[in-house]
Amino acid sequence: MFKELNPLLHSELRLGIISLLISVEEADFVYIRQQTGSTAGNLSIQIDKLNNAGYVEVTKSFKGKMPCTTCRITPAGIDAFEEYVDALKSYIIK
Amino acid sequence: MEDKKLTEKESLELISQMICNTRNRMEDNNGIPFIIWGYSTVVTALAVWYMVTTTQNYYWQWLWFAIPTLSYPAWFIFNADKKKKENPHVKTFVDRVIGHVWMVFGITGFLVSMMAILYRIPILFIILLTMGMATAITGLIIRFKPVIISGFLGMALSLLCVVVKGTDAILVFAAAFVLMMVIPGHILNNASKKR
Repeated sequence: MFKELNPLLHSELRLGIISLLISVEEADFVYIRQQTGSTAGNLSIQIDKLNNAGYVEVTKSFKGKMPCTTCRITPAGIDAFEEYVDALKSYIIK
Repeated sequence: MEDKKLTEKESLELISQMICNTRNRMEDNNGIPFIIWGYSTVVTALAVWYMVTTTQNYYWQWLWFAIPTLSYPAWFIFNADKKKKENPHVKTFVDRVIGHVWMVFGITGFLVSMMAILYRIPILFIILLTMGMATAITGLIIRFKPVIISGFLGMALSLLCVVVKGTDAILVFAAAFVLMMVIPGHILNNASKKR
């Protein structure tokens, strides 16, 4: 029986963000944009969606005079990612 | 990357690619803390040795406190500057673990140094052994052979600080810090620049 894939994570950019954040303590907006190769506008929207779902914690600060957005995955985000990977396994082990 | 739906196979490939990208990351100038603490220790040790042997006045041993006095401000300035310039910023689990390892060994070094003021203990041996252990652990975590070897070398040389008697043990201590911190610090910096 196939498990349902979390629709919030089953999108290229959002899954990319979560996969990146699961392997680091924290990363800023510029680093995530470089690694995912996305546009700033799109990335901002997807981070907001993950933040609203409680999967990602966003901290806004300043680096000198420049605004800096730092993201880190939350325990709920880790659970969601693990469930997503479990669900993926059910498709592959068919 | 866009906001598009993926096949299951694409999902798995994306997850492994993103995790691999961060695992292979190596920071620029990550040998700087080794260089700061290494040079300040070597310079201070040589100054203490010179002053004690020429004056025979053991109050010069208080000069050891020049190590934290020189290193901490330089280290804080380096960290503040790094944070300011670092664009983009990412902190990995490895960064956190190494930070905690040095915090624990740093506190150990501080406590032992305080004890040495009150009691007669083989301070050079203990400091060199613990700093060698921290260096070897750091090398093993980042999987960088020169740092692993120099850490174990420092631990081995710490025994010499017990064997060599009198103020000459300070020279062994200084030489060990060149091998254990200064040289691997420069090698680490060069390696991160090459990447």
